[in-house]
Order: sequence, then structure tokens, then C-alpha cells
Amino acid sequence: MSIITPPETDQPEEPTNRAMPTHRLKEYFSRPYVRRILIMAVIIMAGVIALGWVVVGFMNTTGAPASDIMVELEQTVLIFTIASAPLIAITLSIIFYSLTGWKHSSGDEPPMQDSPAIRTNPVAVIAWIAATSLLAGFLVVWGLIELATITSNAYGSTSANQQPTDVKQIDINVTGQQWVWSFEYPDQQGITSDTLVVPVNTPLYFNATSVDVIHDFWIVELGVKIDVNPGAITNTGVTPTKLGTFNIRCAELCGLHHAYMETKIEVVTQEQFDAWVRDKGGMKTA
Amino acid sequence: MSVMTTQVFEQPAVIQPKQHGKPGGFLRHTSIFTGLAGGIVLAAITYMIGSKLVPWGTQNADFSQVGLNALIAATMFAWVIGFMAGIGAFAGPIRWALGHDLTHDDAEYMAGKDQGKFRYWKYTTDHKVVGTQYFVMVLVLLGVGGFLAMLIRTELGWTWGELFDPDFYNSIIGTHGIVMVVSLIIVVTGPLGNFIMPIMVGARDMAFPRLNALSFWLLFAAVPPLLATLFMGGIRDGWSVYQPLATQAGMGMVGYQVLIIVFAFSTGVASVNLITTAVTMRARGMNWSRVPIFVIGIIASSVMGLIWFPMYQYSQAFAMSDLVVNSSFYNPVAGGSVWLYENLFWLLAHPEVYVIVVPATAGILELMTVFLRKPLFSYKLAIAGFAGVVGISAIVWVHHMYMTGFAPQVGYPFMLSTELISIPFGFLVLVALGTMWRGKVWTRLPMMCVYAVIWDKVIGGITGVYLSDVPVDQYMHGSMFVVAHFHFMLMGAGLFGAMACISYWFPKMCGRMLNERIGSIGFWVAFFGFQLTFFSMFIAGLQGMPRRVLQFDNAFNVSNWVSTIGAYIIGIGMLIFLYAIITSWRGKTWAPANPWGAKTLEWQTSTPVPLENFPVLPVVTSDPYGYGVPDPYDAIEQELAKDDNELKVPQ
Repeated sequence: MSIITPPETDQPEEPTNRAMPTHRLKEYFSRPYVRRILIMAVIIMAGVIALGWVVVGFMNTTGAPASDIMVELEQTVLIFTIASAPLIAITLSIIFYSLTGWKHSSGDEPPMQDSPAIRTNPVAVIAWIAATSLLAGFLVVWGLIELATITSNAYGSTSANQQPTDVKQIDINVTGQQWVWSFEYPDQQGITSDTLVVPVNTPLYFNATSVDVIHDFWIVELGVKIDVNPGAITNTGVTPTKLGTFNIRCAELCGLHHAYMETKIEVVTQEQFDAWVRDKGGMKTA
Repeated sequence: MSVMTTQVFEQPAVIQPKQHGKPGGFLRHTSIFTGLAGGIVLAAITYMIGSKLVPWGTQNADFSQVGLNALIAATMFAWVIGFMAGIGAFAGPIRWALGHDLTHDDAEYMAGKDQGKFRYWKYTTDHKVVGTQYFVMVLVLLGVGGFLAMLIRTELGWTWGELFDPDFYNSIIGTHGIVMVVSLIIVVTGPLGNFIMPIMVGARDMAFPRLNALSFWLLFAAVPPLLATLFMGGIRDGWSVYQPLATQAGMGMVGYQVLIIVFAFSTGVASVNLITTAVTMRARGMNWSRVPIFVIGIIASSVMGLIWFPMYQYSQAFAMSDLVVNSSFYNPVAGGSVWLYENLFWLLAHPEVYVIVVPATAGILELMTVFLRKPLFSYKLAIAGFAGVVGISAIVWVHHMYMTGFAPQVGYPFMLSTELISIPFGFLVLVALGTMWRGKVWTRLPMMCVYAVIWDKVIGGITGVYLSDVPVDQYMHGSMFVVAHFHFMLMGAGLFGAMACISYWFPKMCGRMLNERIGSIGFWVAFFGFQLTFFSMFIAGLQGMPRRVLQFDNAFNVSNWVSTIGAYIIGIGMLIFLYAIITSWRGKTWAPANPWGAKTLEWQTSTPVPLENFPVLPVVTSDPYGYGVPDPYDAIEQELAKDDNELKVPQ
């Protein structure tokens, strides 16, 4: 039986424990490059957040938002921009600082001196994974809630179980064919039109289908989009909240004159709509 | 691989097969020229026999020209088979079936020994020859795709009327799309995966050298049918060729389907080969914690290609069957489903984005360590990132179909998976940032490309955040915003990343240094034009401009003019970069074996690389990232620790 004895040394014991976390953090934030990167990140973050409003501004150039869906959707753009701004700012400020801050070497020969051999940093890795996961989780949760809201908006007064809860809803049958849109109003004695005329603040419910290839029914300023498939009926809906004339375009390549497959939606008052229906030969509905 | 020892291993004697005739046998007489002859002859014979059986104008009950499509498809496949036979692709299997196994001399002949430059025109199995062939091929394809892009932008910038016939315009859109997708899929894994990767893992060649030649020449044979479509009605339906629109395009579509069916074989063969090489042929001592990250990227990309390319192949095989024998997989009138096509198509077409981006990303991570003189930050996190991307890429495809009109609940899980894939991709961003952290940059062209790529990825990422969301997609789906977004990912990250990789490995592949000055000018001009083009395209999309249109509202005029000017600037920049590649390649001064002072194995062998890569196979004793000096801040930490210890001493 052998007894393991520790090797005897007459050296004093090495200080093996690391500095206290608070000291290390304080020291870390006193480093000049950390401070500069953080300042840069804050500036970039402000810029990115401002960019959110620029994006929404461009979306609004032709009169959007003209429906609750579009309002929600632009709000989502803003929220997503703000939520992802910190990570974007950190990333961009590090690459900018790497370009401008830390030393450079140029010339044809490999530089003589290497950079610090940082193999990994558990704190950075864990913090990054936590931050990206939180961001992704937030985006998912927000997106799901938003999708549920929009779905209930889109289906107008028809609830999720397809039971009508409100009679004041206009059904519109949308038909796409190469390369025109046509609209039929079954509730108004089946009058047809090639521009969409609808009353303001009334839920619309679209039954969309195609007679030939796939088209995509896009009311730009109302934020409504649905593929129009041959052999199937797809549904969506919206409540226009703003008077005016807006664009309807085809957003799925559908052949030769895809570019010209567009029409207008006129959002008018209830009285104007009733008059229009009478002109078309339909009768006023309740 | 700072320490490399050389050892000679005892080889047991193996019974060698008998040599029949001169080394190489039948393959001594074949080259690309016999291949072209074989392809043209067989195609002509097939066409003549076919046109007797189904004369022009043969129609079926619903007046579609079914007979013609069958004839064109048969002719195109005959071209491919004839070409492959003519170049000698079947010589190996036939010899094997006859019991004439290859001798060592045969294998060396097939690898191009003592054939000079002519080996590039033959069915050569040497991975370096195949890599170079891929490189030239990809330059040609990118040239074609880029030229078509210029035509598209010319039409869109010409806001005063139609410059092109709408049918021709639609077909250049589709052809630009598919040519660019094919060339970007192969731009890194083709040249660099074949040329560099086997040397990087310390192998003498690929695991299956003959399959390697097969994968290249199949691709080569598949391209003429694609380009022929431009004269046969074209691919008028975008590169995604949604059904049932595609059936209207007639014989133009046949060329597309032949390309995809053959290209999927080519990709599958290449993927198997790359994976097997990386897994089984690594040098002694190169265990999984010492594999360069570029090799991991190639494996990840090949795994995705191997698994998902068959989906694309099936989708096009069904489409061809619809077109040729009037089956009805996708025809809703006869009981088919257009959604079946969309699902099959996007099952590949989303992972394909990662097939393009992953190897380019791996390449830039690899070269960052060299130009920053730092080890790769958190190697394990990088591997986790690639693994995560490969895994989740399988379950995100429906985010291309948010607006197809399925029940809204279907969007929920795919919105989740789409957001989730940003987490492993974020790992790779952290690896890049961590490697940059406090690194002294050696400002050479490959490294400068890396900054451009990360910038583009950030822009592509933030716009991707909007698009991954179903409600926002309700506005942005099918608009120019999407076009700009995926160009930032595929071109900004994929192509510019490939340019970084090519300029980094150029001295090893082509034996000369890439002209730093001209190359940089070309790259930055292209980068500047790229930002101009696609930022204004974002604006057009946000204002409501749908994609793939020929004419549009006056509201979009300004952003389209800017886009077109930017596109021409990209074109000029790319031509300058191409000029740098060509002039550097033709230069007379040879590059040193290791111009960057890198530590991976491919730089440890001589330039030009000898036939079997290494005189003696290397033995690896450490990972390839042994750069760096001790961190000066560690001393400060020690000081702090000392202070703390003093504080802790009881008084």
C-alpha cells in the first residue's frame, strides 16, 4: 500500500482565484475600446431605430395606412426594428471599430506580431446566446399575437369557427384571370365590377379564386394579400378605415401581362356605395 | 499545424490488377471534343427518329403540344447521355463490368499525369483539375447571369415604354434566376470544395475521384439545354416556375426541367464525394476538434444539398411528366394540386439558400483567423451554429408560402422555426465578431471583403426579420422588398463571400497572387453599386412595387433609375474583378507556397500543388488556429487578482 504524498514545495501558494467579478467588470468597462464601442453602439442604435420610421414612411407614400390591419402591420415593423436594434448596433459597431480602432498592418508580408490569442469567452457566448434567444422569442410571441389579431380582423365579423356574428358584412367574390381582376357582390344581387368599390368602416370578406394560373390579390394600402389559386377558394378580409382610391396589384408572376394586372379600390361612404350599387342595377341592402 | 512530423508507414503488399494495353485505355481517345460530337450525334439521331414518331404539331385533346415537348425532352436527354458517353464517363463502369480493374498506371493517367494543359479538356479525375474546371465554369455562368441582370435593369430603368417583348423579359428574369442560383450553389463548393478541401484535410485526392469528374461534366452537359431555352420560348415563370403557369411556357420549360434533373444528380454525386472525403480521408491526427472550419462548412452545405436536392428533382420530374405525358400532378382541373408543387419546390429552395451561404460563411471565418492573426473564437460554437442551421433549414420552407391562402394556423409553426434559425446563424455572427475582437487587421483584399459581407448580412438579417413575420409579409411578400432582401443574402453574403474566398485561395489554386490593387478596385466598385441598387430596390418594394414586372407606376421611377445606375456600377466592378482574375492568372510570377502565413495544411504544400498533393502525408498535432500572443490584459487581471487576495488576507 502506497501513500501518495503531495510534493513538498517551499514556495508560497500561488494565488489561483481570479479577481472579484465586480472588479473585473469595472476594469473591463474602463478599457478605452470597450467604451468607444459602446458609445458607437448607442449612436448606431439610435440610427437603426430612426430607420424604422423611415421604413414606415416609405410604406405610407401612397396613402397607407387605410385599414386597421395596415396600422397593426406598420406597428409591427416599428417594434421589430426597435427590438433588433441593440444586436445590430453591437455587430456594426464592432466591425466598424475593427476597421478603424484596433491597429492595422498592411503590405505584402504577413504581420510580424500576432493578436491576442482569445480562444473563447464563456460570458460573451452565454450572453450572446441569451440575447439572441430572447430576441427571437420576443419576435415569435409578438408575431403570433399579431397574426391572431390580424386573422380575426381579416375574417371580419366571421369568427374563427366560421359562425357569422355580425350581419353587416359585405362578401366579395374576387376572380383573377390573365390579366384582369373582376369582382362580384353576391349580397348585392350579384352585380359585377372590374374596380372594387366598397363602403368605409364595413368589414369586407373576400372569396378569391382564379380561372387559370396563380395570381396574388394585393390591396397595397390596406395591407391585404392572398394568393388566388385555380381550383380553390382562398379567403381573407379587411375593414377599410380611410376614404380614397387605392391600388390593387397582382403580386405573383402570372404570365405575359402580369405587370398590367392592376386595378383600383375606391373606398366611399355608405351613401355613395348604395348609390353605386343602384347604378349598377343592384338593390340596397340592409 | 505548427508542428508537422513526417512518418513513413509500412504498406502491406496488395495484389495489383493486370495492365491491359496502354494506361488509360479508351480514355486516351476521349476529350470534350469527342463528348460534344457524341452529344450532338445522339441528339440528332433521337430528334430524327422522334420527329417521325410525333411530327410537329401533334396535339392532344386539350390542344397542348404534348408531342413536341416529348420530342424536345428526349433530344435534350439524348444530348446529355451522348455527351457523357463521348467524353468517356461510362468507360470506368464498363471496364469494371468486364473485369478489367484499373491499375495504378490507369488511375494516374486518368488523374491527368503528363498530359499538360490538355488534361483540363478531358474526363480527368484529379481534384485540382476538377476544381479549376468548376472555377472557369462558374465564372462563365456568373457572366451569363450577370449579363441577364443588366438586361433586366435596363428594362426597368427604361421607364418610358417597353424595351423588350414581355415574353422575352419574363424569360430573362427566369433564366437570370436559375443561372445565378446554379452558379452560386457551386461557386464555393465547386472550385474550393474540390480543389482546396482535400488538401486541407491532408488527402491525396477525393474519396471518389471518378465521381468527382462525373459531377463536373454532368453540370457541363446540363447547361446547354438551359441556355437553349432562351431560343425556345424561354423560362417565362421566374426561377420558381410555379404551376400551372409553367405548362403555358411549353418547350422552354423542358430545358429547365432537364437542367434541374441532371444538376440534381451532379449535386448529389458531388455532395457524397465531399462528405466522404471530409469524414474518412483526414490526415492522421486530424480529429474532429482539429478540422478547419471551412471543411465543416463544406460538410454542412453538402449534407443539405444531398438531402434536399431530390425534392427539387422530383418536383421537376413531375412537372416534366405533366408537360410530356399530360399527367396531372399539378393540374387542378384534373385533380392535381398547385400547392404540391410549391411545397416540393420550396423544400429544396429554402435550404438551397443555406447551401449557398454556409460555405461562403465558413470560408470567411477560416480566412479571418489568418488576417487577424487570432485563433477562431469559440470553435465549438461555430460548429454548433452550422449544425443548427443544417437542422432547422429542413423545417422553414413554408415561410415562402405564407400568402398561399392556407389556413392561418399553418403559419404559426413556420414562423417559429423561421425565427429560431436566426439563433444558430447568430452563433456564426458571434464567432466572426469574437474573432475580430481586438485583432490587428492585416488589410488585404480577402479580409476587406469580410467586412463587406458582414455588413450585407446585417442588412439582409434585419430585413429578414420583417419578412419572417406573417403579418408583415402580408405587405411585403412578392414585392421588390423581397428581391432586395434575398439579393443581400445571396449576392451580398454569398457571392461577395465567395469573392473573399476566391481571392484568399487564388494563390494556391492558380499559382499567382491575385492583383491586390485591381481586385480591390473591382470589389469596392461592385460593393458600392450593390448598395445603391438594392437599397433603392428596398424603397421601391416598400412603396408597393411588385416583383417581376416590366412596367410600373410613375411613383417607382426614381428608385428604379437609381437601381439601374447601381446595377451598371456592379457590372463595371465585376468586370474589373474578372480582369484582375484573368490578368493575374496569366501572369508569370509564381506565388510563394504560403503567402499569407496561414497554418492550415493546404498552405504547407508547394505551389503549384503536385499531383498527389503531398510528398509524404502530413500528421496533424494541433488545430490550425494556433495564432496569437498572450493577452496583455491578462496581466492586468493578475494584478487585480493580487489586490483581491491582499484584501482577503485577514488582518
